[in-house]
Amino acid sequence: MFFLVEEYYPILLLLFVSIGLACIILGASYFLGIQRPDTEKVSVYECGFDPYEDSRNKFDVRFYLIAIIFIVFDLEALFLFPWAVSLSHIGSMGFWTMVDFLLELTVGFVYVWKIGALEWE
Amino acid sequence: MDFLLLNYIFPRLDLVELFNLNQYMDFSLLHQNYFKMFLPEVFLSTSIFIMCLHASLIVTSRRLSYPLVMQSFGKLSVLILFLAFLLVNNNSILFMLTYQNTFIFDLLTSNVKQILLISAIFCILISENNLIKQQINNFEYFLLVLSAILGLFFLVSSYDMLSLYLAIEMQSLCLYVLAAAKKDSSFSTEAGLKYFILGSFSSALLLFGISFLYGCTGTTNFDNFHLLFAGIDGETFLLTASVEKALICIMAAFFFKIAAAPFHMWSPDVYEGSPTSSTIFFAVIPKIALFAVFLRLFQSVFVSFEEFFLFALAFFSIASVTIGSFVALRQKKLKRLLAYSSISHVGYLLLAFSANSLEGTQSLFFYLVIYMITSLCIWSVVLSLDTLTNEKRSKTLIDLASISSTNPFLGFGGMLAFFSLAGVPPLAGFFAKMEIFLSALSSSLFFVSIIAILSSVVASFYYIRLIKTMYFEKKRENSFVFPVTRACSLTISGAVFFLFYFFINPSLLLLLTQKMALCLF
Repeated sequence: MFFLVEEYYPILLLLFVSIGLACIILGASYFLGIQRPDTEKVSVYECGFDPYEDSRNKFDVRFYLIAIIFIVFDLEALFLFPWAVSLSHIGSMGFWTMVDFLLELTVGFVYVWKIGALEWE
Repeated sequence: MDFLLLNYIFPRLDLVELFNLNQYMDFSLLHQNYFKMFLPEVFLSTSIFIMCLHASLIVTSRRLSYPLVMQSFGKLSVLILFLAFLLVNNNSILFMLTYQNTFIFDLLTSNVKQILLISAIFCILISENNLIKQQINNFEYFLLVLSAILGLFFLVSSYDMLSLYLAIEMQSLCLYVLAAAKKDSSFSTEAGLKYFILGSFSSALLLFGISFLYGCTGTTNFDNFHLLFAGIDGETFLLTASVEKALICIMAAFFFKIAAAPFHMWSPDVYEGSPTSSTIFFAVIPKIALFAVFLRLFQSVFVSFEEFFLFALAFFSIASVTIGSFVALRQKKLKRLLAYSSISHVGYLLLAFSANSLEGTQSLFFYLVIYMITSLCIWSVVLSLDTLTNEKRSKTLIDLASISSTNPFLGFGGMLAFFSLAGVPPLAGFFAKMEIFLSALSSSLFFVSIIAILSSVVASFYYIRLIKTMYFEKKRENSFVFPVTRACSLTISGAVFFLFYFFINPSLLLLLTQKMALCLF
């Protein structure tokens, strides 16, 4: 199993470096920063909700809907960036593949729009 | 490019055409051929998109006063599946690996796709009326059915771990939503949620196994695995332990998806809770695609580890057969009973799988096809049990009572189907079971076969009890019986015909299944 150690050695190194860096950044801001806490600053920010409630209360299902739709259309942009960068290497096949993907996404968008999933009320 | 390779890719072209091809051979031509292979998939996905656009524009239109499209969409999806069947049937290329070996096309995939399409057509036809009766007015239902079929297509063709995983996810996501299709029923929602949580757990196991394999070998491709593991010795190979761990995870996911015994707990609940039309789909369709791809994975890719996984397969076969037979004895709900019965049948299929021979695989496909025909018949009978009083609730065994006097032909069809499941001689079920046991015995699986045969005796008890209920028990209250739909009656009569036909003359199906099995060896 020696080759495993050899291959994963950089990852181990990365782990230690990132732990060290995190400690340094957190510690520096804790010790060197000027701290004047008040209630607004200290309280947890959670999208306009009171963060400390009973977790068993009703939660509007529309939040999930919006979140899911957001994920889908956000990931689209995630695909577009590497595609745009590597467009010169992937030829017409790569170009039309992405066009096809965007068309299919548009079908989904029309569906979501027409069915009324984007309307809050 | 040499002739041998070209012959391999384009087996139907003669030499003259080969020379021409050799001159003008370029990359785009290859892609053209890839596209030809994907024609059914491309057609299915395009029609799904067009249906989606069409429906979302029509259903929300105030000018057309928000029409219901369920009936026309049912017909439309049957038409689409039929055209896809023609496209699959019309393929001239016998073998091809496409897109960096991520997809494979051979006789096995095209035959499995044809079987999938035919059974899906019948599933839609018989459950259409039930959908309308249950007031499931979502046009998405048929889109999901079609997408599940598309996912199963990709699953059958997948030749890479990543395409396998993505295809499994595609079909299971559709099935989760189908399980929860009846939005106002808490049972249906519960079934969908249960299916989703347990299904994603099993997908996580599958991914874990795949990542293990990738960590060991640095590849996800079946072809590379095949070359890498060819002829290695399990005892001395450095990574045997890790690959076996990965295989355990992959097998667990597979057994979960086909509901084999220790991983079966979701299946009765999901069958019971989801609307009957979706249950039919789960019960009949996905198994053959899953079996096809995992047979390929284990029998032609991981052959070198066969001693390891054959033991596991035999164990799960015993577990499924016994649990499926004994637990079903106590079931009172019809759908739960059929779920346990399908678990025991998965056990027989795994017995044929663990035989790991050409005969074993052939008998597996034979059994699967017969099982699909029989279950189409049984589910049509279940759909035809509606009376005015029991229409709204889930059917119990007593709903079968006195069906022989209210509708003798329905009772006769049901009786033959249950006899075929039990394996009574003048029906195809007997022949299929016999094939499986013979192939298992010729691979020296004596202990497993004896347990499976003994359990099938137990299982035949509850099938015969169902027949007894149909023929000799009287209903306590009388109620108005709804007429059997035309699709259901045609399906029942067709299935009964084939149950007899494949007993008298099984050579057609035997030839087909042998061709399919030969692709794996």
